[in-house]
Amino acid sequence: MARSKSMIVALADIRMALKLRMVKWSLVLSAAFGPLMTIALVAGPALVLTGPELELITSFMVPMAAALLAMFSIIPATMISANALVGEREQSTLEPLLCTPLTDNELLWGKTLSSVLICSAILVLGTLASTIGIAAILLVSGKQLIVFPDLPGLFMLAVVAPIVLFGVVSLMIIISGRVQRVYEAYQMSGAIIMIFMIPMLAPIISMESGAIGTSAIWMWNFVSFFLAVIVAVVTWAIAIKQFNRDRMVSLV
Amino acid sequence: MGEIVIDHLSKRFGKLEALDHLDIVVPKGSVFGLLGPNGAGKSTTTRLLCTLLKPSFGTAQVGEFDIIENPVKVREITGVLPEEGSHTLYPSMSAYQNLEYFAKLYDVPDEEIYERIEELLTFMGLWERKDDKAGELSTGNRQRLALCRALLHKPEVLLLDEPTSALDPVAAKRVRELILSLAKKYKQTFFINSHNLSEVQRICDRIAIIDKGRILLTGTTAELREQLHAKQEYMIRVTGDIETAKSIAESHHFVESVKVGVDSLIVTIDDPFENNSQLMKDMLAAGVNIIEFAEEEASLEDLYLEILSGGGD
Repeated sequence: MARSKSMIVALADIRMALKLRMVKWSLVLSAAFGPLMTIALVAGPALVLTGPELELITSFMVPMAAALLAMFSIIPATMISANALVGEREQSTLEPLLCTPLTDNELLWGKTLSSVLICSAILVLGTLASTIGIAAILLVSGKQLIVFPDLPGLFMLAVVAPIVLFGVVSLMIIISGRVQRVYEAYQMSGAIIMIFMIPMLAPIISMESGAIGTSAIWMWNFVSFFLAVIVAVVTWAIAIKQFNRDRMVSLV
Repeated sequence: MGEIVIDHLSKRFGKLEALDHLDIVVPKGSVFGLLGPNGAGKSTTTRLLCTLLKPSFGTAQVGEFDIIENPVKVREITGVLPEEGSHTLYPSMSAYQNLEYFAKLYDVPDEEIYERIEELLTFMGLWERKDDKAGELSTGNRQRLALCRALLHKPEVLLLDEPTSALDPVAAKRVRELILSLAKKYKQTFFINSHNLSEVQRICDRIAIIDKGRILLTGTTAELREQLHAKQEYMIRVTGDIETAKSIAESHHFVESVKVGVDSLIVTIDDPFENNSQLMKDMLAAGVNIIEFAEEEASLEDLYLEILSGGGD
């Protein structure tokens, strides 16, 4: 067996998730809206502003767009992971799956991987599309090139976002053991996204209060990073410890 | 030593004692039937044996493995058809994809997957529909597909919950024959939950009747009959005046009941070894022409109803 069982579970989950209209549209919207918004936020000011004004706007708009792009890439994870566990239970397919020789770890990794793979693909492709889109618009319009993502933005997209993604999925696994219906999991996922959204988007708040600066952006990036690490580690540990076949089956 | 050894297995859900110190031994290569009304604890027993649930007390051994100490190994050697198996397939996957997914999870070698799926789907009459989505198949076909999934990795032990429910008589017969041939040829052990008494009587070597989480009786059908001291019924086929035969039968104190058919009587006789000859003599003396006097075997249904009504105590 070349492929691990977790990957087999993940690929099956992805295949099934892509057949659900709601998940499919959520993926399409996230994949399209993230880069479109990023291009608008970064390339837009560059088309109308010049000089120090453009520099100031670009200095926080670029990392801000990176944070938003990360958020839009992570949102579908809540839907995919809700369907992966609660959805299976709701459609009565969880019981035969739990009867296979999968260990708890393999099963949870599989369910996590399905969300992580899709969202990582959206993140990477969204970043590439944004970078190329911004460069293309600025080149065509003869404006000065803006590098996207910049260093804080790259840190957000390459380091913080994957950990946040992992934390979101871990939290969804814990929730899956406590709710009976997919829509209940969807409802709770909104609150989860909020936990991460506040520090990731905190530079906007700083901007409104006039505290614009690279140091503020880096500070909030690190706050997001540490929050994500803590939440991801704690929730994964809880998810592994609390994952209980007994309880999952009893909820069927 | 049995292939399945259940040792004081108990399961409690809050205040409900779903299973109370169950003890069962199922030998290798045999077909065991667990009978009982709804809520008796049959599905809980299966779910404990396939390690979906953890026992509150006691344990069980499936093959060489303990369900508490080696749950993954137990799942490796076990094939399961869950309760309402036809609803446990991925509706958006095709019949083939459903089986392929589980074949990979059960470590069926890649080069054997296609062959095994083809063999099973062909046997169940579903090969032509292998590309149809499971959700588009009829309930009976989904049940067959769920059975294929349980058999896919050639497990040592099969835990089947109502295996022939939703199947037409021809398919049900084929499944019964398959179970018997697998048990005989490959020494696969079957643990079957069923409400279908005639099916259990036909294919099971041993039977246990369970109610409120407790085993009421266990044994072969013949042993159950013996344990119950079932009252013996006899069929007396006559030609001519059946009413005379009926009145003679009713006149004897040892005849407990008389049922009249078209050309026969079914009589329940107390102490038949002593009294059968007397009844026969009296009927012949009255000119009743007896053409058959035969013992009627108590069916499993009769025994089952008698046990559940307290006759087994």
